[in-house]
Amino acid sequence: MHALEVESLTKQYEKGPLALNNLSFTLDEGEIFGLLGPNGSGKTTLISIITTLIEASSGEVKVFGSKVARSNLLTKRLLGVVPQEIVSHGFFTVNEILNFLSGYYGISNNQEHIDYLLHNMGLYPHRNKKVSQLSGGMKRRLLICKALVHKPKLLLLDEPTAGVDIELRNSLWDFVRELNRNGCTILLTTHYLEEAECLCDRVGIINHGELLRLGKTRDIIKDFTEKEFELELANEKVDMTKNPYFLRKEGVINYFRVPSNMDFGGFLSNVQIDIKDIKDFKVREGKLEDAFLRVLGDGNHE
Amino acid sequence: MNKPSVFLPFWFLYKKEVGRFVRVIGQTIFTPVINSFLYLLIFGVSLGRSINMDSEYSYLAFLIPGLIMMSVLNNAYQNTASSIVTSKFHGDLQDLRTVPLSPIQIVWAYAFGGLSRGLLVGVITYIVGSIFYYVQEAGFLFPHSAIYLLAFLIIGGVSFAFLGISVSFWARNFDQMSAVSAFILLPLTYLGGVFYSIDILHPFWRQLSEFNPLLYFINGVRYGLIGVSDVSAPKALLVLVISMFFLLALALRSIHRGHYTRW
Repeated sequence: MHALEVESLTKQYEKGPLALNNLSFTLDEGEIFGLLGPNGSGKTTLISIITTLIEASSGEVKVFGSKVARSNLLTKRLLGVVPQEIVSHGFFTVNEILNFLSGYYGISNNQEHIDYLLHNMGLYPHRNKKVSQLSGGMKRRLLICKALVHKPKLLLLDEPTAGVDIELRNSLWDFVRELNRNGCTILLTTHYLEEAECLCDRVGIINHGELLRLGKTRDIIKDFTEKEFELELANEKVDMTKNPYFLRKEGVINYFRVPSNMDFGGFLSNVQIDIKDIKDFKVREGKLEDAFLRVLGDGNHE
Repeated sequence: MNKPSVFLPFWFLYKKEVGRFVRVIGQTIFTPVINSFLYLLIFGVSLGRSINMDSEYSYLAFLIPGLIMMSVLNNAYQNTASSIVTSKFHGDLQDLRTVPLSPIQIVWAYAFGGLSRGLLVGVITYIVGSIFYYVQEAGFLFPHSAIYLLAFLIIGGVSFAFLGISVSFWARNFDQMSAVSAFILLPLTYLGGVFYSIDILHPFWRQLSEFNPLLYFINGVRYGLIGVSDVSAPKALLVLVISMFFLLALALRSIHRGHYTRW
């Protein structure tokens, strides 16, 4: 069974833009999927439709085979969502908020799990503070605790690391991996490409509400990026500028850009250089960021 | 998966609602009680002495039930309305859409929260009123019909809590909220017979007053407490039960179709 099925989803805002245009994709149970797109590409609209905050113009969404709707409480129990915008709560402490929320999911005594979440998110020492007393980063961590009180099977993370410091970002990534190992399927939306490259098995790239590319993260990088080789030559007299892959030269260092499926052996035989002339070399692999920009660029030219 | 409890989610939302007004007890309980106290002092004790009621009851006894009902209605409305509006302001109202609470659970949890605050202020108003009454009349104010009294108080509190839910879910900003209070609720409350009997009005105004639903709430409680009313108590009860179901439907609809977005 798919953890999430998005079928021909379209959202046309009243007097507004077409936010989603016939979007379809599925998430397998147990994977971490990254939905990538620039600001305003439709990521948050999609999350809002899955959580029934807004209604789709057409198409449907199924969570573990059950169609989401405002009246479908089953899918709400399976879903956890970390919204992009920081939420405040006026009157209650962190611990009280999490206990109330557990109650809404029908869990009356959840303190052990709440403490586990608070420890993992570094909020345990702050559990008796009101939300207004927390820093921005802590509020974001509280959002993550809130999404997890009922041990959801599908977690939607909408830009969870926007404006978060590096230390927290790394601990958050570790925690996301741990949740995933424990059986939670994860949909991550981000425009922070390093995050997706580091966490996601598969990614989809959307822009203007349309899915431009979908596939394994590694494959997308391979298909849409090039490798760079950096050769430090023993002898400055060796001229490599006529090589078809030659990019530029800085002293004894020559840069080459090759297709990402070409390995170093193939490159050597191709350029016909004597191994003795090479003093040192480095390989710079393509990044998801390069692939992303390339896909978006191609999309704009179409 | 175990069959999920229907009661627990409702109970936790109700607990949160009560917890909320207890946290700001100065605004939610003490302020309305001081209001009632001032009304009793100014109208009941000071001016009331010079008002001749032509009946066995003093103006103070006439005023107390009206003030009790006004407190219950106002506070039940204020509780749901301000809770939802603050949630819109903080952005956490959207949580209600993502958690597995049905509209019927949400409406009743909020309504009982509002009723709890309304009754609490109502009971304190009754106690303060009784003290004034004892000082002035050297007697106690026992309910004429406890069943009618309770029925009107509960139906009134629940109805106005429903109204608070409906208005605050539909409202898009603070202006709309205060417009409803200032142009609809406040005039209806003051013209609903808290301070006077509609018998003293010109027949035209008397007939017009009969379209004011607040008249039935206030006179219902007056009947329950001192056995005097401008309208028949069973008729008033019937009208109010019907209006309560209408307001319930309105509140449920507002949960379905209202605005959850942040202000």
